[in-house]
Amino acid sequence: MSVYILPVLLIVLIIICIIKKVKVYDCFLDGTRDSLGLIKSIFPYVAAVFVCIELFKASGLSSTISGWLAKPLSYLGIPSEITEIILLVPLSGNGTIALLESIINDCGVDSYPARCAAVIAGATETIFYISAVYFSACKVRKLRYAIPVALFCTLLGTVVACALCRIM
Amino acid sequence: MKIKFDMNVAFTALTLISIVLLTIASPATAFPTMLQGVMNAITLIVKLAAIYAVWLSVLKMMQATELDKKLSKLLRPLIKRLFKNESDEAYNWISVNLAGNMLGMGGVATPAGIKAMHAMASEEQTVASANMILLLIINATSIQLIPATVIAIRAAAGSADASSIFLPTLISTSVSTLSGVILCKVFALTDKKQNKGDDKNRGLHIQNSMLNQRLRGFNTRSRKARKR
Repeated sequence: MSVYILPVLLIVLIIICIIKKVKVYDCFLDGTRDSLGLIKSIFPYVAAVFVCIELFKASGLSSTISGWLAKPLSYLGIPSEITEIILLVPLSGNGTIALLESIINDCGVDSYPARCAAVIAGATETIFYISAVYFSACKVRKLRYAIPVALFCTLLGTVVACALCRIM
Repeated sequence: MKIKFDMNVAFTALTLISIVLLTIASPATAFPTMLQGVMNAITLIVKLAAIYAVWLSVLKMMQATELDKKLSKLLRPLIKRLFKNESDEAYNWISVNLAGNMLGMGGVATPAGIKAMHAMASEEQTVASANMILLLIINATSIQLIPATVIAIRAAAGSADASSIFLPTLISTSVSTLSGVILCKVFALTDKKQNKGDDKNRGLHIQNSMLNQRLRGFNTRSRKARKR
């Protein structure tokens, strides 16, 4: 059913455009023009985040830190197999999906760690990417408590997710 | 309680530590790794250019038919309670951003979010305001209604009940978003108590954005007049 939602909304929108005598073609041209402008302004931010992610993974820093974190996180009920995914989730969406697939391969798709990893991958967002891109149109660089709060809430969601996977 | 987070500090620290480690382990891969990072960014940017081209056209149509204003009127009670003292333009973009998020349309949520941030910031502002942080947190912990990708991966791997993760996912993302909003409000309150001097700046900023808006209204009015 849900596959119909977007196309139907678009059809309704175009019909409203025709009724209100809005020029659909001009709107499309304006939109595409804006898209290139937007891309131009967010590219440096995306590139910076991606360079960071590549270096973070290639230098072995991510596996080292997840090694340190495995013990404390296990007290919160988070299985040690998925500490690296928790570390990668705020950084990169593609990286998270790749890790999820390797965890499914290693532990079996219906095992406890694999289900936890699936919930985490589905429930979280790439915090660093979003905070870099959202401020690309203004000069704001000092984000104060934004990142710590976002990270803490994601961790809270993760703990809840692992607890729920035990029951459900 | 004051936490400082500067993107410059975070980026420099993370890159420096990683490059030092790479130079010790395998110096030949340091530059190829960075190039690979930018390459990944370019692949994503090309994809985003296509997504935004389509969604920004849809947004243009919504603006031209004034549907965005109706949407924002619909969400206004909620948004006004969450984000206080912002311009009408900012409220419009925030409502489009939140609606896009709830419907799982990342392509429309991101451009609208960028424009909302732009509308909330004054020209030379470098420190994020409480409202800007709140919008960021709502997006960074966004409520995901249907985790379609993950369910597809589980089904492809031969899970007995691929969609069994649906309810835990929904509860987990609601917990993170709700706690995010609450924490934001707590931090904003303690901030207000600490430095009342900032409020003066804030007032000036509101006046500025109201002035801008009036100017914008004047422009469109004169454009309409010209058409006639």
